Amino acid sequence: MKVGEHEILEGLYYTRSHEWIKFEGNLARVGVTDYAQKQLGDVVYVELPEIGKSVKQTTEPKTKEMELGAVESIKAVSAVYSPLSGTVKETNQVLQDRPELINTSPYSEGWICVLEPSNIEGERGSLLSPDAYATFLKTLG
Amino acid sequence: MGHPYIPNTREIREQMLDEIGVASIDELFADIPEKIRLRRELKLPRQMSELEVKRHVQAMQAKNKPFTKMLSFLGGGVWPHHIPPHVQSLVQRSEFLTSYTPYQAEVSQGMLQALFEYQSVVCELTGMDVANASMYDWATAIGEAVLMCARVTGRKKVLVPELISPERFAVLQNYASGPGLELVKLGFDWSTGQLDMSQLRAELGQDVACVYIENPSYLGFLETHVEEIADAAHHAGALFTVGVNPISLGMLKAPGDYGADIVVGEGQPLGSPVSFGGPTLGIFACRDDQKLVRQIPGRLIGMTATLDGKTRGFTMVLQTREQHIRRERATSNICSNEALCAVAAAIYTVSLGSRGLRELAEICAANASYAMKELDAIDGLEAPIFASPHFNEFTLRCTQPKLTIEKLNTKLLKREIQGGKPISREFPEFGETAVLCTTELHTKESIDQLVDAAAEAVGARR
Amino acid sequence: MKFKQASWASDACLEPLVFELSRANRTGYTLPQKKLPEVNIPENLARTKLELPELSEPEIVRHYTRLSQMNYGVDSGFYPLGSCTMKYNPKICEELAALETASCIHPYQDEDTVQGALELMYKLERCLTEIAGVARVCLHPSAGAHGEFLGMLLTRAYHKSRGKESKEVIVPDSAHGTNFASAAMAGFDVIVVPSNSRGRVDIEALRKAVSKKTAALMLTNPNTLGLFEDEILEIAEAVHKVGGLLYYDGANLNGILGKTRPGDMGFDIVHFNLHKTFSTPHGGGGPGSGPIGVSRKLEKFLPVPVIEYNKKRRRYYLDYNRPQSVGKIKAFYGNFGVLVKAYAYILLMGANGLQEITEAAVLNANYITRKLQGVEGYELKFDASGPCKHEVVFSVEPMKKNYGVKAHFIAKRLLDFGVHAPTYYFPPIVPEALMIEPTETETKEELDRFIAAMKEIAEEAKSHPDKLLAAPTATAIGRLDEAKASREPILSWRMYRKLPSKI
Repeated sequence: MKVGEHEILEGLYYTRSHEWIKFEGNLARVGVTDYAQKQLGDVVYVELPEIGKSVKQTTEPKTKEMELGAVESIKAVSAVYSPLSGTVKETNQVLQDRPELINTSPYSEGWICVLEPSNIEGERGSLLSPDAYATFLKTLG
Repeated sequence: MGHPYIPNTREIREQMLDEIGVASIDELFADIPEKIRLRRELKLPRQMSELEVKRHVQAMQAKNKPFTKMLSFLGGGVWPHHIPPHVQSLVQRSEFLTSYTPYQAEVSQGMLQALFEYQSVVCELTGMDVANASMYDWATAIGEAVLMCARVTGRKKVLVPELISPERFAVLQNYASGPGLELVKLGFDWSTGQLDMSQLRAELGQDVACVYIENPSYLGFLETHVEEIADAAHHAGALFTVGVNPISLGMLKAPGDYGADIVVGEGQPLGSPVSFGGPTLGIFACRDDQKLVRQIPGRLIGMTATLDGKTRGFTMVLQTREQHIRRERATSNICSNEALCAVAAAIYTVSLGSRGLRELAEICAANASYAMKELDAIDGLEAPIFASPHFNEFTLRCTQPKLTIEKLNTKLLKREIQGGKPISREFPEFGETAVLCTTELHTKESIDQLVDAAAEAVGARR
Repeated sequence: MKFKQASWASDACLEPLVFELSRANRTGYTLPQKKLPEVNIPENLARTKLELPELSEPEIVRHYTRLSQMNYGVDSGFYPLGSCTMKYNPKICEELAALETASCIHPYQDEDTVQGALELMYKLERCLTEIAGVARVCLHPSAGAHGEFLGMLLTRAYHKSRGKESKEVIVPDSAHGTNFASAAMAGFDVIVVPSNSRGRVDIEALRKAVSKKTAALMLTNPNTLGLFEDEILEIAEAVHKVGGLLYYDGANLNGILGKTRPGDMGFDIVHFNLHKTFSTPHGGGGPGSGPIGVSRKLEKFLPVPVIEYNKKRRRYYLDYNRPQSVGKIKAFYGNFGVLVKAYAYILLMGANGLQEITEAAVLNANYITRKLQGVEGYELKFDASGPCKHEVVFSVEPMKKNYGVKAHFIAKRLLDFGVHAPTYYFPPIVPEALMIEPTETETKEELDRFIAAMKEIAEEAKSHPDKLLAAPTATAIGRLDEAKASREPILSWRMYRKLPSKI
């Protein structure tokens, strides 16, 4: 599905801060969306979260405990906000050398980390479906 | 009449107001509440013509006695050297002098390349791979270095020598105070001044972020156990930071070759005038390790190519570390730095070249060595107070009971000689002592003059 | 007028690196003959390898002259870089700072031998004190951000002396990045307050944000939109009421000289950017100078030494005996060379001249504002009814929406017209921002040329945006691969030499 020039994949969940979530068994893979990477422009560095870090699902006001590292372009830094509470199990080490994968393959090779969610049932409801995310993107113009 | 720096005359200004439909200049300030409007003239000295200002400032500055018009032995953080005239004439080129930070790479290649060359020169001197485009001075560079060490290691304790320059330490205290770093001073061997290795080892726990030493030290001697200090620091997982006078690196081993992770220092002696202690030039360099590089404070200039890949060019890089992007999470708040002094340093250093810098360092050290020998031979004087090798600065102690070091200096001044910097207040444990400095500006004859005058002052025969 | 920047180029680069020009045994320097015996350095500390470039003096002079020709300064042309006050730097000031009597004095010299330097600093302090309406000035800080850091240290010392644990510094969302960073560096938590629809601090939000925990509010006035914070007295009251201090970021002082003073607005701490308002050249990034002014209650915390004057002995001296001082933030007493230039500049201008600077600078900014207002593509996001002060911020959001032309394309295209780019994407509260500060230096003719260029670019955005995307072409080099530069940073000759493939 496309909204304007922005790709949205079926089968994933989304957030208003432009992360995607893919459930894999009892784990959740997280990355940033096509919209997010286009907003950022050329990504030059990805600050990965530490493995074992425990994070909270993102709510306002945002705090450091909700961050899963950050994505940097030449002139901007954008925190990656955790869509779910849980623990960081794995991070995408390839991004250390090839941060541009965030631009070229945001939904696949450019994944950022894998979480072990601690409260899927309680939190899943606040994630956006592809349709809901598409509607949200349209409001951004 | 027009104004030399405000080209739009009153008539033109009237015309401009007219064109944009504003009745008077005052209307443009109507948004300032009347309560805070200044309805009187600022009380400032009367306006002067260019000629008057020139005469006024010249007359005022004529009350100074420049070290070029007497014999001076002051160093201690800024050091007088001969600056070849082409260095200042090049940095005074308008296009360099009147440009802002090179944010627009396409019209700023000159400044960017010159700063890249500065970074490169600093790396050659220090044995590091990465240098930033400058900090304010040596003292603030130390402050930034320990903050960086704390960020990189996640630790909060910093070990510094007790014989660190007190002024630099005072600055460091303020820089370390934000995140609440703990500064611990390490003692020294009373006969040599060398860092107390057993205390170093005792203090070096898993909580230490940084071990900092100065080489040459503030009191002029060389720290000789550098490899051991580096090993001890690294063994405990701390970073090793070394502070330098870059001129000494013409003859001294690069700190990078004895294990330093970060090198800081005062770049003023590389082509900038002493100028009453400012502008100065903070040197900041580190190893090429991503963990370090991402935490560097200040600007970095990098090499790249045009988008078509055809032509080499230079641009500011890793800007996301800086305050204009990362705001309160930036690696430092520094924005304006000392870029022009950095360019001067590059030009000065390449003018000397490898052999020139070595020879210069050797002359500075040989002069100090001769001065120490001759002064030490005088009854009532001792130089240096530490039995260690020295570079171009050394301690002079006055052991004549009735004479303080300040009185000795007063007597020297009567002979048109500015003696060393007294440290009797900073380090009372060393008695009536001063730090003296020699550079290539001194000759054997001028040192003899000092020795004669000092001998006379202490009432000794030479 | 047509612009083409000089470009010294060989095959795949502009002027080669000085390292590439090196040939063994050349030198650009002569040293006195060695007469004294060499010093022995312990083997483990002796240098065995040093690889600096070796060139003769004429080669060095040509190399750096060529580099300078590929650089753009205020002396080259219009430099409307917002918030940076890129005004003309009088040459007489350079001459005076270079006097042997000013540049060849050592900070540790006997005070009797540096009376002229101390007098100049003392008198410059007095001038700045009057200009800002404060009680005392400290000249130590090397730059604006350095002054901010000192201001935060003073803030901490003040609250501590009153037994208060104030941990929060409030900063408007439109503030300079240094404000956030300086507060954080001094250990404060940063609280952001939003701007209102008039582009000013939202006073209601501010009243909610202040509390016992408030240490200070940092504010620049005129703010970064070039608008005067006309509710400044209410703002000051809200902050003072909870015991907080008001910090003035002096970057925009050029907009109010002689018209109003930070001290009169209620500010307790003020920094000056001598390299902006007082015309000392920016030197490609520095040296600058960022003195701090404070109200009476903060004076005792100022760094040591403080310059005092003994009337009886008619002698200036350095006072270190200040028990409540925050200590030091720089090894010596400030960037003296810069201070000489600023002092000379203030004398050249006088009280009337300083006021005239502000009038001319503000008029120039308003002239640009009104002439570009209504031009399709350029939009004023906030209150456009009243005047601006020293600068104006346009948004090119319409151009981005309609033609995909972003602010930085316009900025880059301006370079082709021989105009330095404005500040862009700042303040962050304005989408696609172009921040334009003309200063008093520019003639009406220059402003008209600039306005015409801006209109032409707006037309281009419609008719052939491709031209915009290809800009700049009149500069020494075209657009650079900045992503590559940051992904695989090459930061020195040593790093470059080690690379398997060269650029």
